[in-house]
Amino acid sequence: MTGSFDVATFLAHALAFENEAADRYDELGDSMEVHNNMDVAQLFRRMAGFSRMHADAVKGRAGDVALPHFKPWEFQWREAEGPEVAQVERTHYLMTPYHCLELALHNERRGLEFYRGVATASTDAEVRRLARQMAAEEQEHVLVLEDWLAKTPAPAPDWDVDLDPPAVGD
Amino acid sequence: MTAVTKNYSAKDYKSDIKPVWCPGCGDYSVLSSMTKALAELQIPPENCAVVSGIGCSSRLPAYTNVYGYHGVHGRALAAAAGLKLARPDITVIATGGDGDGLSIGGNHFLHACRRNVDMTYVLMDNQVYGMTKGQASPTTAPDWCGSKLTPQGSGVTAIQPLHLALSCGANFVARGFSGDPNHVAQLIAEAIQHPGFSFVQVLSPCVTFRSEQRGWKDTVERGKLAAATSSDEAFAILAKDNGMQTGVLYAGDRKPFNPSQPAVKDLDAVERKFVA
Amino acid sequence: MATHSVQIALAGSGGAGVMTAGQILLDAAAKAGYYGLMGRSSGPQIRGGEAAALIRISTKPVSSLDDRYDMLLAIDWQGVSRFKAELPMDANSVIVCDPAEGDVPVEFVDTGAKVAPIPFGEVAKSIVGGRVNMVGLGVAALLVGLPLDPIMGLIDAALKKKGPDAQKSSRDTVTAGAESAAGIDWRVELAPPPKSDVPHWNISGNEAAGLGAVRGGVRFVAAYPITPATEVLEWLAPNLADLGGTLVQAEDEIASINMAIGASYGGVPSLTATSGPGLALMTEAIGLAIASETPVVIVDVMRGGPSTGIPTKSEQSDLNQAIYGLHGDAPHLVVAPTSIGDCVFTTQWAVHLAEHLQTAAIVLSDQMMGQSRAIIDRPADVAFIARRLVATADMAEGYKRYALTANGISPMAVPGTPGCMYTSDGLEHNQRGTPSSVAEDHQNQMDKRLNKLLKHDYGNHWADVEGDGEVAILTWGSMTAPCREAIDRLAAKGKKVKLISMRLMSPLLPEKIAEAFKGVKKLLIVEQTHSGQFYHYLKGHIELPATVEVLKRPGPLPIRPAEVETKLAAWV
Repeated sequence: MTGSFDVATFLAHALAFENEAADRYDELGDSMEVHNNMDVAQLFRRMAGFSRMHADAVKGRAGDVALPHFKPWEFQWREAEGPEVAQVERTHYLMTPYHCLELALHNERRGLEFYRGVATASTDAEVRRLARQMAAEEQEHVLVLEDWLAKTPAPAPDWDVDLDPPAVGD
Repeated sequence: MTAVTKNYSAKDYKSDIKPVWCPGCGDYSVLSSMTKALAELQIPPENCAVVSGIGCSSRLPAYTNVYGYHGVHGRALAAAAGLKLARPDITVIATGGDGDGLSIGGNHFLHACRRNVDMTYVLMDNQVYGMTKGQASPTTAPDWCGSKLTPQGSGVTAIQPLHLALSCGANFVARGFSGDPNHVAQLIAEAIQHPGFSFVQVLSPCVTFRSEQRGWKDTVERGKLAAATSSDEAFAILAKDNGMQTGVLYAGDRKPFNPSQPAVKDLDAVERKFVA
Repeated sequence: MATHSVQIALAGSGGAGVMTAGQILLDAAAKAGYYGLMGRSSGPQIRGGEAAALIRISTKPVSSLDDRYDMLLAIDWQGVSRFKAELPMDANSVIVCDPAEGDVPVEFVDTGAKVAPIPFGEVAKSIVGGRVNMVGLGVAALLVGLPLDPIMGLIDAALKKKGPDAQKSSRDTVTAGAESAAGIDWRVELAPPPKSDVPHWNISGNEAAGLGAVRGGVRFVAAYPITPATEVLEWLAPNLADLGGTLVQAEDEIASINMAIGASYGGVPSLTATSGPGLALMTEAIGLAIASETPVVIVDVMRGGPSTGIPTKSEQSDLNQAIYGLHGDAPHLVVAPTSIGDCVFTTQWAVHLAEHLQTAAIVLSDQMMGQSRAIIDRPADVAFIARRLVATADMAEGYKRYALTANGISPMAVPGTPGCMYTSDGLEHNQRGTPSSVAEDHQNQMDKRLNKLLKHDYGNHWADVEGDGEVAILTWGSMTAPCREAIDRLAAKGKKVKLISMRLMSPLLPEKIAEAFKGVKKLLIVEQTHSGQFYHYLKGHIELPATVEVLKRPGPLPIRPAEVETKLAAWV
């Protein structure tokens, strides 16, 4: 289906998932902060910053091209959400920076796959060209994250052990 | 009169209060879906109200930037109906969980379905009471032994929310999955637009007390719930439903309940009837 | 000598129609210019049970039944003995009954009342379509000296739908009834009706509460039927609709109160009406209204309790529940009408207070005033209407729903107001409304919710304070009427007794009460409860005069003026 993308549709998709990825990282940052996991909160906020930069880059590419409005459910994602949008269920209140980077890497790889897919499948030469360029950028992001992850200590086996029972609310 | 058009984005419907939900909780996505739906419908935030009861998911109103009412346990639908009947101009959404809506609030659910006030009910179903540390709810399987309160399992048959809604006359019945938030946004938007009482069950995992629900993403069958044109057909579809299929099950055409009418008399005319 | 008050009971069973006849008799008295009152007593059957219409006709406004009955008109005797205790009679009374229905039960014979036989059945049969209740109506009208003309007009109006034949038949039956009683050697000479410039109204306490609600600005009502409050809701249903308001029948009382709260959150003054069992179900949500500062009014038409108790009989025993029933420290308003007509004022006042103070107000009416129908002077118009302090769009910057203010009242934004979106919460919250368990927030918000009630100027409406003297009666609700009547009788004998009938039951205003107690040395507290709830409540909170006595009794028997008078006799 991504094969039929024209330039505007393609860029609208790219912009949407970068923006949503940024918003999601911010939300995750908030939720880590509420749960007093400040290291990971900060890391998520940095990820949000990167995604915003990428979103700006997409906007720059679009230039004067008017991007169409899609309803959230009209985007053609391969999964439930855009490729770089962190999945909520992959988070945990005790997650470590390592997990956070793993998640970010997972997202970037999905982004890479998305662009590669478009670059191969699109019937529009300009779309293929843009997608190849953007795939190359994603490849860089992937490499950076792989490197970062390699330098980050792996979590202890008992990283998710909580010594206190859950608290009660209302 | 020309209306001033304002381009609301999903963020305009979110407040600056940070949710207390556990990271990984499906309710984050439902909040996001709801704000996306409202943005898509371009409903001015001040013309929308979210009403809830008590429980994790009932905390949702405070995280929105629309009018919110966080009432008592189980009574969201009653408060929401009162609000909508008194203020038909406001878009009213009730939210809550399976314990709030189907256990303590079960009676109100039956009557909200049959009363058919033009409002939307988003029920976040995680088959557990989260706020009180993980007890069995009306949608919990009878053999779930994860609660200290019912260590041998509740032994009680689970309610099928869609079946119940349909039997009681709900005019729009749908199921979504929080892991598919754009689809949930679509369901909520359709529910809001559909006249009468619309019910959206959202499978929304509790990662703390039902961590196995993280696996729901692999078992949910998106869009498999076929849209029925009659309630008979809908019942037939539900007979084969495994509870994990999502989509709009039924959209009916019952007239919404709205007894209000413009005034036809003044107070003097009403009082004259008392003259001896 | 002409009397200023006559009291009669029309009793019968099996659908004899005594209530209809009683209603027409009261209406006829009203047409003639009299004041009056009609209460009702009935067996537990839905249809066909024994019933008694208890009618008092007077030259002065009355809000309660008198000590004794001048006349008992019994169409038959099936089950009528059930009402014996409610129908005190003496040698000056008359029992009109049909010999064909058997002997007068011994407990009625023992009263010494004169027995006057009238063959109700036979007279009715002599007219095509004749009914015994119309015979009784004719008899009663003749014996108490009410003109038949207005009765004929009322019959025509009541039977308009049934057509001229039915109308004529009923009129003829009333005439035949009156003629059949011509030979009875017993009459009441009722003094002529007073001249009055104020139009007279024919209204029940429940209707009056409904009227007070709409006068106060209520435009949303959620309803769940319960005896003896249903008539409040049934009166409101068509009238609220006519006024552009909305009434919805809820699935239970819990839904009713929550619907009312939801509607009020939407900015529309809202009310629900119930009785004791329903109030019990509503208490959690009333706490929510208090905590979230959402105005709401609950009319509780009290009946005998506990549990299902005696649904058709009056009692004042929901006082404790209304004041203390809520969990947590939950300051709210409890007000009580002091007469049938005052149900208009007090309910209207309750709406005004709830709206102004953004809290819950419980109106404690009771079966006696709620289900009694009275002929009264038209209640005066009062300026109290719902005026809620609302936030406007220009207040959006930094808007705080629960802002701490000097008088404790903070502007409430209603949905539709741009920029002021907030979430109203039953969880303790900070000024903005965000849930908070911080001690300071709890303390501040508790102070706010209490102080706004304490700082309000309730004026003189907190009580009806009448007369002067070293002896006073302190009472409330439907017990006010017999007390007032007893005080009037003593006044006629040159004896002074002060009346204090409390309208504002909670919060108590110790300073106002102390002022009313000035010079009072002996106090009689009158209430219709078994345990003395009112007395204990007062004793727990205020300084009472040196000598205090309590006249208390649970329902269903009313406390009558003579009892109050007797109780005071030793003191004045």
